[in-house]
Amino acid sequence: MVNTDELRKTAKEIVEREDVKYVIGYEKGTYGCRISPSFAFSPEDADKFVFSPLCVQNLAVYPLLEEKLPLKRGEEEDMRKVGIVVKGCDSRAVAQIFQEKGLDREDVILIGVCCTGVIDLKKLATQFPEPLEGLEVTEENGNFVLTANGITKTIPKEELLLRTCIHCENPTPVVYDVLLGEEVAPSKEDYQKVKELEEKSLEEKWEYWEKKFERCIRCYACRNVCPLCYCKECMVDHLSPQWVRRSVNLSENAAWNIMRAFHLAGRCIGCGACEQACPVDIPLMEINKKLEKDMKELFDYEAATEEEKSLLTMFKPDDPGEFIL
Amino acid sequence: MEKMILKKKNLPEFVEKALKEYRVIAPTDNEGIIVFKEITNPSEMMLNYANTRIPAKSVLLQQTETLFTFSQGKTVAVTSPEVNDKTLIVGLRPCDAQSLAILDHVFGGDYSDPYVEKRENTILVGLTCLNPEITCFCTSTGGGPSCAEYTDVQLTDIGENYYVEVVTDKGKTLTERASGLFAPAAEADERKKKELEEKAQNAITRTMHTDGIAEKLEEIFESPFWRKIALKCLGCAACTYVCPTCHCFDMQDETAGTRGARIRVWDSCMYPEYTVHASGHNPRPERMNRVRNRVYHKFNYFPKNCNVIACVGCGRGIEVCPVNVDIIDVIDKAREVNL
Repeated sequence: MVNTDELRKTAKEIVEREDVKYVIGYEKGTYGCRISPSFAFSPEDADKFVFSPLCVQNLAVYPLLEEKLPLKRGEEEDMRKVGIVVKGCDSRAVAQIFQEKGLDREDVILIGVCCTGVIDLKKLATQFPEPLEGLEVTEENGNFVLTANGITKTIPKEELLLRTCIHCENPTPVVYDVLLGEEVAPSKEDYQKVKELEEKSLEEKWEYWEKKFERCIRCYACRNVCPLCYCKECMVDHLSPQWVRRSVNLSENAAWNIMRAFHLAGRCIGCGACEQACPVDIPLMEINKKLEKDMKELFDYEAATEEEKSLLTMFKPDDPGEFIL
Repeated sequence: MEKMILKKKNLPEFVEKALKEYRVIAPTDNEGIIVFKEITNPSEMMLNYANTRIPAKSVLLQQTETLFTFSQGKTVAVTSPEVNDKTLIVGLRPCDAQSLAILDHVFGGDYSDPYVEKRENTILVGLTCLNPEITCFCTSTGGGPSCAEYTDVQLTDIGENYYVEVVTDKGKTLTERASGLFAPAAEADERKKKELEEKAQNAITRTMHTDGIAEKLEEIFESPFWRKIALKCLGCAACTYVCPTCHCFDMQDETAGTRGARIRVWDSCMYPEYTVHASGHNPRPERMNRVRNRVYHKFNYFPKNCNVIACVGCGRGIEVCPVNVDIIDVIDKAREVNL
């Protein structure tokens, strides 16, 4: 677990630097056990920072979300750095963005936090249906110990963890300027759910996804919460040609979700933010994990690793190209 | 107002009867997500829920609606879809019913929107909200978990029976057709209803202070506060699409070969594209402008134009926001802004 005092002290030191605009971390949310992203512009702001298994958001989404207006005459661009608190997966998102040259290493200061997995708020709600004001979470022998409203419950971690955290291969940040907490031993992704789905027939697969895509409302929370969805213009917003129609129906919804997954092939770092954000619980990580598995098996490639280029911008003369007729 | 009881086990029969005459829309369960859907059998109804994920506006202002279809050959043929059937919405919460009264202001203007006719043809059978969620705050926005003001018939689950309040003439017609299923309510039923109603009221823990909010917002439009509030917003449309009073739409012609349709689909003021001009200029270039607009639309423009706040306190927007942008928090903090 990350020591809160240490986290705040580190954030304060960074936010005080002249070359830093602000530091993004987590603070207590507005109700129940919700945690909110927090922007510290001053050391006092950083006093609000917290870190716990309830810090589900991937803050790596923010630097590229900032809208830069055209400069007025005589105005200079604010080139100061942004500090970000990153968990293992979040740091991989930043690493992938670096690789794609979306951000420069010099643009950000990364406060890496060693992460033992975050809690799926939807699972938590089924265990604790009542409001959880001031929920305290600690860990003990592979269990979460939750205390709220004077009641303490001990629940095996696996029952509450976000699905993508159960087999996390990068609990310790892969890139950082400061590292807080103790390194956490990685697990191994077993792709169990993907394998289950792979065994289904085409009809069964369609039947499985049909119910899910049918309820998609195309709010694009999955896209906007994703640190790797940072295209200046998303293909779904493009009008001429219109790749995906605006009609919200099974066909267009399927097109949207599948096209988005393809655009993340070899780029998705598996944080699960999309799935967590989906207001209609579409298990988006099942598609993303399938592509991640394919990338590993077909190209021996993983996102956000030391490779110089990302997979889909790479060319190898010895590529067997078996799929090309 | 007539007060009766309906045996819970008789509700399916009531719906069965209604199905002969009405298109019946009810909450249904899609893998744990509760949404309004047309049903053909009472067994498809799912009435054990806190609230539907998508509000009842989706029935009258469908997310995708065909306004007319067209085909092009030697001549151009334009066909309008048939006028809507008589519709019954069963099991909507008081907040959703209230939201329709708000949408009436929007669509009931000088030009007849398809919404208006649909609304006239729709009967609302509300269901009192006995287990409000942590995000609910309807008692702050002029409603309440048992508010029957905006429904035609209001049901309250009092155990073995539903306590039935017949609110309007439409509701009266509906219940009279199945009068055999209803019995007069006894005093004990009323007591039970009152007791549950109070419990539900007390279960609502969150409060939004809306007194004078329109006037306050009038003063703080230029405040840097809005920039601060919008920092964490991701700019997705989750809050607007699950909001029962958000009603913006876009229109598109979707064609295939020589045939096509003019459709209207929900749109969101949270998207940059929403306000972008043909010239490329965007009068709301930053998320700050868009977040501020959404708050102003509900708490300033709407009160100024229609004398009512365009928020019913259903809490959906708070619940679905991935980054905890919380409208109660925004309004509370806006009240404290000093210029």
